[in-house]
Amino acid sequence: MVTLDALMRLPGAMAAFEFRGSGELLEHQIAYPDRLNDSTLDLLAHMCAANMSIATMQARGWEQITAMKGFYPVRAFTLVGFDWSVVVSGLHREQYKQDGKYSLPPFMGVVMSNENADYEAAFAALENQEPIS
Amino acid sequence: MSIVTDLLARPGVIAAGEYAYRGDRFSYRGVLTEEHARMASIICRATTMSVNMEGGMLEALRPRNGLHPARGWVVYGPSHTVCVMANVFCMIDNAKGSINDIVRFMRGTLTHASTHLI
Repeated sequence: MVTLDALMRLPGAMAAFEFRGSGELLEHQIAYPDRLNDSTLDLLAHMCAANMSIATMQARGWEQITAMKGFYPVRAFTLVGFDWSVVVSGLHREQYKQDGKYSLPPFMGVVMSNENADYEAAFAALENQEPIS
Repeated sequence: MSIVTDLLARPGVIAAGEYAYRGDRFSYRGVLTEEHARMASIICRATTMSVNMEGGMLEALRPRNGLHPARGWVVYGPSHTVCVMANVFCMIDNAKGSINDIVRFMRGTLTHASTHLI
């Protein structure tokens, strides 16, 4: 499973975090506590949980209505802000679900500065998960 | 050329469009039908409004954070990605396009787009 340390090595990484599907912030690392603190990251985690749920609903509905494929399940949601972006992935949880597991691992996310952000590297890092035992 | 035309000329972009924040207009090009483009515009507008609300809430909690104002969002799927900046959306075939390039192009082109959502 990708570690917070590995996510913090992404270009422009400012914070890396884990959160439950209900949005509660779990383990996290913050590179610049003067710019991003625990309470901000906690609210952001709740927003990311909501965004993943809504995007999943939209992708599901879109595929069923249009018959276009390749949008569901959502692998990652990215919010692009003015100077920062936050990328969260739910792919690892999807793999657990497909294996019939009921206890799902947390979501993982990373906050990056837009100037240095490499979204494809973030997707790849977040999806670098160990096989389900 | 419009940004929609520019987007469609980029590798991997299969459809692109624009929508009015007030919800009464949209335009599109690419592989979508009129009805599907209308639905895509509604979905994109709703999510854009939502992420802007989130950016505002974060700003209220901690002023001058880098997520406010929100500029857009990206949903990365198994083989297709939806990328939205301001009131412009595009759909990308992951195998043929670069999400980094598209996000960079849209952010750069829409740098001066209004953040007032009107």
